[in-house]
Amino acid sequence: MANVSGNAYALTVLSPIKEGLVAGKEIAYADAVRDRLYDWNELDNSPMAKVPQTYLCRYFVLDDVYVQSLPSGSYPDNRYDWSPYITDGKRRGSLPAEDRLQSRYLVFSSNFHAGPNADLDGYLHNMWDAISDDIREVWGYCYGFDRVSSAATFAAYIKKCQLETTLFFVGSNDDPLPEQLKALFLKQEFARFAATNQGLPAAELRKNYNEFITRVAPEDLNGPSWSPGQYKFD
Amino acid sequence: MNKKLELADIQGNVLRAYGRFGYPAARYVCLNVKNEIRGRDFIAAVTERVTTAIDWSTEDGKKLKPNWTANIAFSYQGLRKLGLPRASLVEFSPEFSQGMKARKDILGDQGPSAPENWDPVWERNGKDFESNVHILITLNGLMPAPVTEDANGMQEAREASLEHREQAYEWLLEVVKEHDDGVAVLGGHCGANGEKFDYQDADVLFEDGMPTAKEHFGYHDGISDPVIEGVPYDEGRVEGRGKLLEGGKWAPLATGEFLFGHIDEAHEYPPAPRPILLSRNGTYMVFRKLHENVGTFNAFLSEHGKKYPGGEELLAAKFVGRWKDGTPLVLAPNEEKRKAFQDKLKEASLEEQERMLSDFSYEDDMSGAKCPFSAHMRRINPRGSLEQVAGEVPGSMIRSMKGENEGAFDTPGALANRRRIMRRGLPYGTVSDRTSDKGNHGIVIMMLNANINREFEFVQQQWINYGNDFKAANDKEILLGNHNIDGKSPSKAVIQVDPESDDVPYIVSDIPLLVETRGGDYFFVPSMTALRLIARGVIDPT
Amino acid sequence: MSNVAGKAYAMNVITPVRWYTAWLNKLYFWAAVKFPSTLSGLVTLSLIHYARWTIIGRKSFPHLDHRQPKETLKYSYMLFFSNFNGSWEQYVDSFTFAIPSGLDLFWKWNVRYSKSVPLTPFHDYIQYNQIETPHYYNAYPLASSNDVKSAANVRATLLAFERAASQDESDEAFQKRYHGLLRALQHDLGEMHPTPIVTMAANQVEKRTQWQSRVFEAPNAQS
Repeated sequence: MANVSGNAYALTVLSPIKEGLVAGKEIAYADAVRDRLYDWNELDNSPMAKVPQTYLCRYFVLDDVYVQSLPSGSYPDNRYDWSPYITDGKRRGSLPAEDRLQSRYLVFSSNFHAGPNADLDGYLHNMWDAISDDIREVWGYCYGFDRVSSAATFAAYIKKCQLETTLFFVGSNDDPLPEQLKALFLKQEFARFAATNQGLPAAELRKNYNEFITRVAPEDLNGPSWSPGQYKFD
Repeated sequence: MNKKLELADIQGNVLRAYGRFGYPAARYVCLNVKNEIRGRDFIAAVTERVTTAIDWSTEDGKKLKPNWTANIAFSYQGLRKLGLPRASLVEFSPEFSQGMKARKDILGDQGPSAPENWDPVWERNGKDFESNVHILITLNGLMPAPVTEDANGMQEAREASLEHREQAYEWLLEVVKEHDDGVAVLGGHCGANGEKFDYQDADVLFEDGMPTAKEHFGYHDGISDPVIEGVPYDEGRVEGRGKLLEGGKWAPLATGEFLFGHIDEAHEYPPAPRPILLSRNGTYMVFRKLHENVGTFNAFLSEHGKKYPGGEELLAAKFVGRWKDGTPLVLAPNEEKRKAFQDKLKEASLEEQERMLSDFSYEDDMSGAKCPFSAHMRRINPRGSLEQVAGEVPGSMIRSMKGENEGAFDTPGALANRRRIMRRGLPYGTVSDRTSDKGNHGIVIMMLNANINREFEFVQQQWINYGNDFKAANDKEILLGNHNIDGKSPSKAVIQVDPESDDVPYIVSDIPLLVETRGGDYFFVPSMTALRLIARGVIDPT
Repeated sequence: MSNVAGKAYAMNVITPVRWYTAWLNKLYFWAAVKFPSTLSGLVTLSLIHYARWTIIGRKSFPHLDHRQPKETLKYSYMLFFSNFNGSWEQYVDSFTFAIPSGLDLFWKWNVRYSKSVPLTPFHDYIQYNQIETPHYYNAYPLASSNDVKSAANVRATLLAFERAASQDESDEAFQKRYHGLLRALQHDLGEMHPTPIVTMAANQVEKRTQWQSRVFEAPNAQS
């Protein structure tokens, strides 16, 4: 299954948004959804920071697909290109088709640690438990979401909206997020330790190193670390 | 090379670092255009005397090598003021039309390097119409061959070059005077003691009466300038200066990386303003005045030199990737090899010397044991070294391969070939007290490229002020990095060692700000044809 | 707009593929997984945290409710989502410089794909088909993909170093071992700070949005 690479999971969700206007307002559901997503940027941090194991994720609204009107590469684009005689009808017929979507879609794409069992359900349950209010806020105008009332129904709903990933490329790693964050913390701290303890006599170096290890506790994922979504140092 | 450029249509400073061609004395003059029509008359008059890139080694060319050179470039505001049509103006790149000052957050020109601390001529630039730097004229004086080979002979030759520069300046002032209703010279270039000049001088540094290629920190400079297709006098200089090919061979870079109207490394004409006669054979020039904190540098070097196992001279070399005498660390990683290299260099012909100094890659130094990843030279031009992945031995890097004889990238220099910059730099000012930062001395550097954003700004931001491409997180390039500009984030750099040795990597910590920006802007250097069209006021993209 | 979250940029590109050639794309992607050398350029570039390609059949758009109108598409669509480090241009450029044939392999059957070289038509193609991300979350905005990988190496190496320690080790033996640790981590000692600004436009937006702007209170990024 290409949704999975190692312990990492690529969740792709397209949730159709209802057509129509928010009651009493001159704003379409899809536009209201987008506006709420922008609201999230005004918060101290994204609600998704509370969802365990999320590496990176995004939300956007797919308004429509794009009709291709740019010039293409030079190789024959379709079978009419081989013909020595092209009528206007054929020429028109060989132009890129004008596709239009019938619905607008809320797109949610998440990269997360799912473990060896590709535990999508666990992730979605945790997501619901952590941010169900926020979930209602953005998914509330989507078709079928009215049947969502619990972690289980949310997971079932998302899976109905899920698309299978064709190729998932993991360029960083698939470690659990707390391990990634702990590692980043250690990297930063060790770089500083190495610089400030350069050239010390062996005994002093050893003493400082032991103090350093006690302080940073490399094993302890609950010890000092970076917090999810941390964007500055204190 | 079958491509031949139209050398008489290209301004001479684009293809030549004049210093290398016997012009050790430069003067830079900024002008404001007061009146469009008379401003264009001024351009017409200057154009008559602009130095082109013709080949001075041919019979005819020899006769045309001038006692002084003159070249001209325009800021976006200058082109606007001279009446270029809107349709052409909008096709210049956004960074060029914004100007260097507005790009300070991209360039890291903050803290002491912030525009409010620039020389008045640059600090005032853009504040009001009368202070806008519209035109930059660059003049260089020729040093004749010394009549006698002793110090006196050299001294006379040097004075002659200064005399030539004065002649050039007198000519310019005369033309300005004839058009003083059209243009005005902008003053406010800071001299050694804060005095203000109407021009910025830059001069080759002399040592014991002999000219050197050094800058104020004491390094040889300007060795590995790119070589492009179609320049007859660069044909023998491709190794180490062109682009690295599979198998360690070198080829000249595509002309379009540096000149509009020519195919670039992506097989297209670089985006440029229309009409084509306006842009063809022209390019962008980045002008920067960079102050060197010599006292800070010496104190910093000596402090770390005491602790660094290889000693001060080797550490100084590690900062740059070359020993101070120019010997590349990759070819001569220790003092013994440096001596041997220099002995061989002294025996070699001029052409052979050029090749020796530049013909190398990082193939045998992927881990940075010889030339560290944060060294100036490796950061400015990583050659093929970015095609790298971690090796089996902890702490090592190796070339990444797709197949047995095929690198992971399209070509080894894939990430470097489109980030090259032609550099034309000369030192300015003198250092009287090597323990102090005071005074005004550094480098005036002019960098030429067809895409400021992709070439100069990328190198400045991503490779000098950031280290991700070098697996160095936010660690900066040692010499030019904008270290600790906020007073809160002191920089450091790692001097790597052979991962299979017992050596210990050295961390250069608390790197101070060694080089500060004191001014500059982005300019367009038109072809001779474009100059004539601008002067006539007939640029028309219709 | 927040295509940018710290050191990562979210790219969404949606492009049509003819339904009868979509299997070709799938074949290439399958081959990429089977023959990892296809991806060695991507791995070496090391600019991507996570990226994915999803091909949606023209009749496979999620349909949740009988009130939802059915899609009537003539093409299938390829969605490309990337989480990469650097600005849009830096990323797109690095890819076309380094692995142009790899890009062409993945996209060449897409309708009116420009090919990756020359650069400007390729820029135009991606830009034309790109969708902005209103909300982008990154668990480690201060880290690049290189940093994440380097950090994992630091942690594993430190833990191994700890495991190798023994009570009767002399100080000198410890020091020798510590020097080996530094050597092993000599490419992992870079310090992380906020990203350099990505573009002037992104910088302006970040200054205006509350939570991002706090990063930029530092005097090194005053306007």
